[in-house]
Amino acid sequence: MAENFLEIKDLMKSFGTGEAKQEVLRGMNFTVNKGEFCVLLGPSGSGKSTLLNIIGGIDTPDSGFVSINGDKLEDMDEKQLTIYRRKHLGYVFQMYNLIPNLNVKENIEVGAYLSDKPLDVEEVITTLGLQDHKYKYPNQLSGGQQQRVSIGRAVVKNPDILMCDEPTGALDYKTSKEILALIEDCNKKYGSTIIMVTHNEAIKYMADHVIKLRDGIVRHNDINDKKIPASELEW
Amino acid sequence: MRNPLVKRIPKELASDWHKYLVIILFMVGMIGVISGMYVGRDSMIAAIKAGKEELNLEDGCFELSHKASDEMLDSICTGGMADVKQYFIDEGMKEADEKVEEEIEKELRSTVEEAIEDGVRAQCEAYGITDEAMIQEQIKTAMDENFDSALDEARDSDEFKKAVNEAYEEAHKEVLKAVDEEWEDIAEEYKLNDPGFSPVPVKVFEHFYRNESEDNNNDGTEDATVRIFKSDSTVDMASVIVGRVPENKNEIALDRNHAETVGVSVGDNVRISGKEFEVTGLVSFVNYLTMHESNTDLMFDAFGFDVAMVTPEAFDELPSRLHYNYSFFYESEPADKAAQKDTSEAFLKALITQSVVYDNELKDYLPTYLSQARNFAISDIDGDSTGTGIFCYILIAVIAFIFAITISNTIDKEASVIGTLRASGYSKGELIVHYMSMPFIVTIAGAVIGNALGYTAFRGMAVNLYYNTYSLPTPRLVWSPSALVKTTVIPLLLMFLINLFIIVKKLQLSPLKFLRHDLTKSRRTKARRIPAWSFLRRFRIRVLFQNMPNYAVLIFGVILSELMLCFAFGLTDSLVNYGDKAPEMVFAEYQYMLMGYKDKDGNVIETDENTAERFSCHSLMYPKQKSDFSRFEGMGSGGDESITVYGIADNSQYISLPADVPEGSVFASTAFRDKFYLKEGDVLSLHEEYENKSYEFTIKGFVDYDGGIAVFMSNENFNKTFDKKSGEFSGYFSRNEITDIDEQDIATVITVEDISKVTTQLMHSVGGFIEIFKYAMIILAAALIYLLAKIIIERNEHSISMVKILGFKNGEIGSLYIIPTAIVVVLFTLISLVVGYFLMLWIFHAFLLQMDGYFAFYMKPLSMVLSVLYLLVGYAFVSMIDFFRIKKIPMDVALKNVE
Ligand SMILES: Nc1ncnc2c1ncn2[C@@H]1O[C@H](COP(=O)(O)OP(=O)(O)O)[C@@H](O)[C@H]1O
Ligand SMILES: [Mg+2]
Repeated sequence: MAENFLEIKDLMKSFGTGEAKQEVLRGMNFTVNKGEFCVLLGPSGSGKSTLLNIIGGIDTPDSGFVSINGDKLEDMDEKQLTIYRRKHLGYVFQMYNLIPNLNVKENIEVGAYLSDKPLDVEEVITTLGLQDHKYKYPNQLSGGQQQRVSIGRAVVKNPDILMCDEPTGALDYKTSKEILALIEDCNKKYGSTIIMVTHNEAIKYMADHVIKLRDGIVRHNDINDKKIPASELEW
Repeated sequence: MRNPLVKRIPKELASDWHKYLVIILFMVGMIGVISGMYVGRDSMIAAIKAGKEELNLEDGCFELSHKASDEMLDSICTGGMADVKQYFIDEGMKEADEKVEEEIEKELRSTVEEAIEDGVRAQCEAYGITDEAMIQEQIKTAMDENFDSALDEARDSDEFKKAVNEAYEEAHKEVLKAVDEEWEDIAEEYKLNDPGFSPVPVKVFEHFYRNESEDNNNDGTEDATVRIFKSDSTVDMASVIVGRVPENKNEIALDRNHAETVGVSVGDNVRISGKEFEVTGLVSFVNYLTMHESNTDLMFDAFGFDVAMVTPEAFDELPSRLHYNYSFFYESEPADKAAQKDTSEAFLKALITQSVVYDNELKDYLPTYLSQARNFAISDIDGDSTGTGIFCYILIAVIAFIFAITISNTIDKEASVIGTLRASGYSKGELIVHYMSMPFIVTIAGAVIGNALGYTAFRGMAVNLYYNTYSLPTPRLVWSPSALVKTTVIPLLLMFLINLFIIVKKLQLSPLKFLRHDLTKSRRTKARRIPAWSFLRRFRIRVLFQNMPNYAVLIFGVILSELMLCFAFGLTDSLVNYGDKAPEMVFAEYQYMLMGYKDKDGNVIETDENTAERFSCHSLMYPKQKSDFSRFEGMGSGGDESITVYGIADNSQYISLPADVPEGSVFASTAFRDKFYLKEGDVLSLHEEYENKSYEFTIKGFVDYDGGIAVFMSNENFNKTFDKKSGEFSGYFSRNEITDIDEQDIATVITVEDISKVTTQLMHSVGGFIEIFKYAMIILAAALIYLLAKIIIERNEHSISMVKILGFKNGEIGSLYIIPTAIVVVLFTLISLVVGYFLMLWIFHAFLLQMDGYFAFYMKPLSMVLSVLYLLVGYAFVSMIDFFRIKKIPMDVALKNVE
């Protein structure tokens, strides 16, 4: 496992100006190793998404930096950032954001297209348990199924890092656990580094690395030696 | 791997097929019609141009009073001027010599007679004879005996010889002086002393014709004048459109347009000056593309004038006077317009001088470049495309905006997806290409189908339109790159650029903003405050505010539609109005233009008709440089408008001018005023067309006259201004027909029918087209409104679904979303009637400035009401469709979070 694959250093970010100014990230420091399942934990509004977006290169910090494999994001221009995301990142959001007039298979192909080393689309569909739904359109699927497709779209790229922003935030208990198991699978099977944002404390037990945020700084940065499978989580 | 997003495109097309169908139809219709018009025009122009060579179009023609001798033709062909002065001198000398000789003989005889008489008388006195009778007797005898010898003697005397020489010298001097003076006048009049003159060698061909009367329905009355040429002519030939050229004595080929206009077809019989002929062919003469009988005709007349050919045998047997018309061809073609003018003027000088020295008379002269019959159609066909082109681009721009708005709405709707895609590494370029492909595909499809139709069906339509109006040869299908550029390349570019601009701008935002649905560049800090109205009312206001950009486009579309309707209605109305006003377009029931104010014998031309009143007129040019619009090629007057200056009798019954208007002050016609925005006190600077001479007039007021661009002054001032002799005039106005003036002295007569002829011809040519155009405009307007209204509903799909869930009834929702649109549409339809009307006035005026003459834009109040009504009915229909659309929006649009 490569050490310090992802390094976050003195990250600061605020929104607004004057009285309305709100410091969301106030000097954030941590590193993540390659292949780690890392959970960013914190209450709603604590800046988790903001942090994730900065790591993903779709938002910029006011100061500090993010480096991946030694490459600092701040040195990249927009084009290079796009290539960086394209080559290395997969994204899963709380909202599934599927393309309404493409079917399941096609939505997953949208991800595969971006990658130099995509996984086999059919295989991913099977892994996600979507074989029976592959020609359905998003509005013919349940929320959980849609989220599977969205994970499929991210995973099929075979990304170095899979970024998940509250992937289970809109799902029920049972479905949530299924989704978490899938993400766990991807981590194991394809060796992707996972960075998952959640406000759900229970989820930390399945992670290798738990980072707790509060008031814009890292409160806890723990390595979890005794992680349990997602299917055994309870909350 | 192909971008999987491509798969969306056919699905998008399929799911929203009515919208795209409307757009494609719209584009196909427009591009088809316009490419058809361009291609039709280019085919027509190509055929016309080809005819110049293939049918031997003359460079001009002239008519002589009688047949030219071979020597005369040879001299004309050299293109040089004859020495008219020498001719005058020779003629004068000859005459003078004869006279002198006669005088001298008379003088001599009387001198000798006197001498003999004196001698006899002296002798008689010497003899004392006083009886007078005796003396006379003696004288007579002496005369008989001595006269001849005395005469010879006197002739031989030096004294006499000297006297004779003196007389001749004196007479010759006088002749030279007289010729000098006369020559001066003539030379000045025809500019014969031009040192820059160089001969214009030409080839000349006989091209005689006769004007016969044509009775085309065998009812015994004359229906038209037909100008008949020989069918074996090798110059100014005709292309045969239907049938064949006449081969037998009783066969005739008529002009196609005339024949179709009056309903004659191949196989029919027509009576030409009483004799029956069978029509074997319908043709188009290369030098008669319009039925202009005379080059000064206000308008061509396909009803009342015809050009035809019969075999030479039949030609020789026709009863009417032979016109000794000759066609000439320059040996070297003038390079351009200016050279055309110089060459033709130089050749005219040669012609004038040659006809003088060969004792012939030049009756008519018309270089082809000035021929209305040849050029009117060409300039019309060639010229009328600018307007359509611009109109097409405006429509394309509107469609492009409709597209851009649709896409921009789609982008808004798909913001999260776009954010996700961007976050996952899709580049901006890929998304731009993706969103651009739709308008691109639709435009390409529209352009391809449109062009295909343009080259087939619509081309035929355009050609038919031209055929209806003009006497044209068979068109040739030409590949028209200009049509392709104008109907395909430019629309594609317009579509492409407008969409690119909007999509690029829209996709410029960061992925994060898309993810957060934060798509407005500047975030509104405060929500608009709305007074404490009822909830529904506030809701409507919110709908209005939220859809501002959509409404802006809708309003633009409404204005455009209304403009199109104003145009469609206004054109018909203006034409009808012109026809209705025809009687007001003449000053008098009859207007006689005379050849000169004196007849051949030098007597002032008078009439006993007591409503007759003398007037003078003269044509001057008004510089149009004030307008930025470039003139169409074709007509003779360059960039200037031709103005008629009238001199009017005091206390005229026909045009009332105040008395005692000082010289240099004029009254302008209202048409002149309205065309060039003149006002009282303006100073007009008018100049002669062919001379470097100009006049300044101050406008004193206006005369209510829309028939022409004219100014009026008193006859007296007229004669002073133009250095005419007092008492000179140009013609008569009269309420009744004048019968006591010799036909020979009358140049033209203008009556109300002549003006009506113009309208009839115009109605016949374009009436049908305008009617079609009107309905096309109405359909276009409805399609526009349909697309724009659809966008508004689409845009609000999500919220409509949401309010449905909240429990609003369809009716209420309809009222929420349709009423604001309805209010906007009704309000702006009314506003745009005003805007459209005035815009139309402006456009029409701009268009008018490019042409000569005046044609007022007019719209009936009923048409105004109708134009608004059509638009509103169209909108009401669209609203109904909208209502069904709202009904159909499922509730789960809001619930199913598929974004
Ligand atoms: N674009 C933005 N403009 C202003 N404030 C923002 C913006 N994005 C996030 N915030 C604020 O930053 C804080 C952290 O947001 P976020 O990172 O989304 O929290 P979390 O994901 O932990 O719930 C919130 O209080 C939010 O209001
Ligand atoms: Mg969040």
